[in-house]
Amino acid sequence: MSSVTSRSHGHSLLRDALQRLLRNRVATGSVVFLALMALACFVLPLFPCIASPNLTDLDHIAATSSLQHWLGTDHLGRDMLSRVLYGGRISLLVGVLSTAVAVMLGVVYGMVSGYAGGRTDAAMMRTVDVLFALPFIVVVVVFSLSIEEPCRQMTDYVVQLTGWSRDAVAPLFGLAPVFLAIGALGWLTLARIVRTQTLALREQEFVLAARSLGLSHFSILFRHIAPNLFGTVIVYTTLAVPGIILTESTLSFIGLGVKAPNSSWGTLIKEGADRLEVAPQLLVYPAIFFCLTLLALNFLGDGLRDAFDPKSAKD
Amino acid sequence: MIRYMVRRLGQGLLVLFVLESLTFFLVHALPGNPFLGERKLPEHVLAQLNSLYGLDAGIWEQFFRYWKAILLHGDFGPSLVREGVQVSEIIMQAFPVSLELGCLAMLLAVVTGIPAGMLAAWRRNTRTDALLMFTAVAGICIPSFVLAPILGITLGAHVPGLSVAGWDNPLCILLPAVALGAANAAYVARLTRAGMLETLASDFVRTARAKGAGSGRILWVHALRSGLLPTVSYLGPAFAALITGSFVVESCFQVPGLGLHFVNATMDRDYFLIQGLVFCYGVLIVIANLAVDVCQAWLNPRLRA
Repeated sequence: MSSVTSRSHGHSLLRDALQRLLRNRVATGSVVFLALMALACFVLPLFPCIASPNLTDLDHIAATSSLQHWLGTDHLGRDMLSRVLYGGRISLLVGVLSTAVAVMLGVVYGMVSGYAGGRTDAAMMRTVDVLFALPFIVVVVVFSLSIEEPCRQMTDYVVQLTGWSRDAVAPLFGLAPVFLAIGALGWLTLARIVRTQTLALREQEFVLAARSLGLSHFSILFRHIAPNLFGTVIVYTTLAVPGIILTESTLSFIGLGVKAPNSSWGTLIKEGADRLEVAPQLLVYPAIFFCLTLLALNFLGDGLRDAFDPKSAKD
Repeated sequence: MIRYMVRRLGQGLLVLFVLESLTFFLVHALPGNPFLGERKLPEHVLAQLNSLYGLDAGIWEQFFRYWKAILLHGDFGPSLVREGVQVSEIIMQAFPVSLELGCLAMLLAVVTGIPAGMLAAWRRNTRTDALLMFTAVAGICIPSFVLAPILGITLGAHVPGLSVAGWDNPLCILLPAVALGAANAAYVARLTRAGMLETLASDFVRTARAKGAGSGRILWVHALRSGLLPTVSYLGPAFAALITGSFVVESCFQVPGLGLHFVNATMDRDYFLIQGLVFCYGVLIVIANLAVDVCQAWLNPRLRA
């Protein structure tokens, strides 16, 4: 990081990229939209105007929009706006955490593989090939079933240790199987991309210079090679988030993701799909929030790719 | 070329072996066992079930026994959850359904995605391009679990012939295929556009233009071949994934395909069924990757050396 920012006096890659990004109206629009969405999901529910997502209003069951319930209520009379916002919290949180896990694994694995080269590289890349050939859904299911119990024990342990209430701790550790499972598989593509880049960077003079100065492999990798991967990684990360949010929702749809009474956009859409005939709004509202967020993330990712790699942009 | 293919096939078989072995240890490491139903079984019944299916032996002994049965007899063992049914029977029953559905979804993705991508690349930076690419991104962002129920209730329930669920008349395949193929069509369109743009900017296309080749000829004859390379390498694995079914689409439309088994077998810890399914998937992946290699060699003469 540091060497990237210190170069930004002249025309650094980062600054050029930022300027190109700001000129892209669709991408800047997406940034604004995503910021608003994050604010709505994380800050808005703190105010009393948003009802609790689990509060049932028995006078209005599966109601359509009204002044009292802007997006109507679900089959148990729970306020849909509040449920969609709380669901967004979980979906965005899982998206960010899974991506963080995947990016960390992928960058380190790819860098080490590319930097080591030779047999180590070949072995590490064949491992990625095999993992790629595994049916994703089976591994995610196996993984989330396997770490459910350790996560539960972890919750007990944390509750004992800190004395916090179980309700405060449980949601985070309850989500752990989901984002660990997704993150544990999401790193494969990034590892391949990072490896290719590292292979090229390894041969450049500045690495030779660092090596002749007697720097350790560790510091060459993390101080000199890593900053040069920044552009690639940020572009890939933005493009990976929508895929990961989609995976979380698919898992929740199957019934393996977020457990009730917590909800994510995936579980809301599932509930809506089951009652589509009687109350289509239960599917439509969460689906709109979900699809728009994915759309914005994709546009932002495309914009970043064009900004960091002008060659790939429109001629 | 032949030697190259044989080597790739050898590599594929190795990947298949490692894949299947990895799955074996992965599923055996799952907590719980296949016989944990609603009713807790007495200890001695459980022990008897375990010995009946050979699950009481050491893990390595089970591992070698499992491979021996496959290699010598082509036997994937019985389902542990559905009594008296062989894994091969389950796969044989569900695979044709998923195959048919997957092929149609793939066909839809190819016949809409490739022309859309070509048109967008040809008319780059115009309204047509923007509209097509917006549709493609939207197609990626509307997940099948949103698309499937909406298709079902809007078209399936009202258009005669189409159906909301089931697998009894020939037309009912259409909606699940659209739900399954939409995202793939979108990916194909984006990849085709990117590949075509790169090719259209390359030297040999400029040469063709300079020699006076018509724009239609440049697009369809000169550029299409190498412009399709990225799409082809995407299509191989995507095809293998499509014809092994999709849990979401199959459960939305009540289609008796393979996708349901992948998830249910894992949840039920039906060891032999999971392993059989992964084997089937692995074989398809190997075949798909070989097919991709052949197609790429055919499309790009430079790869043939």
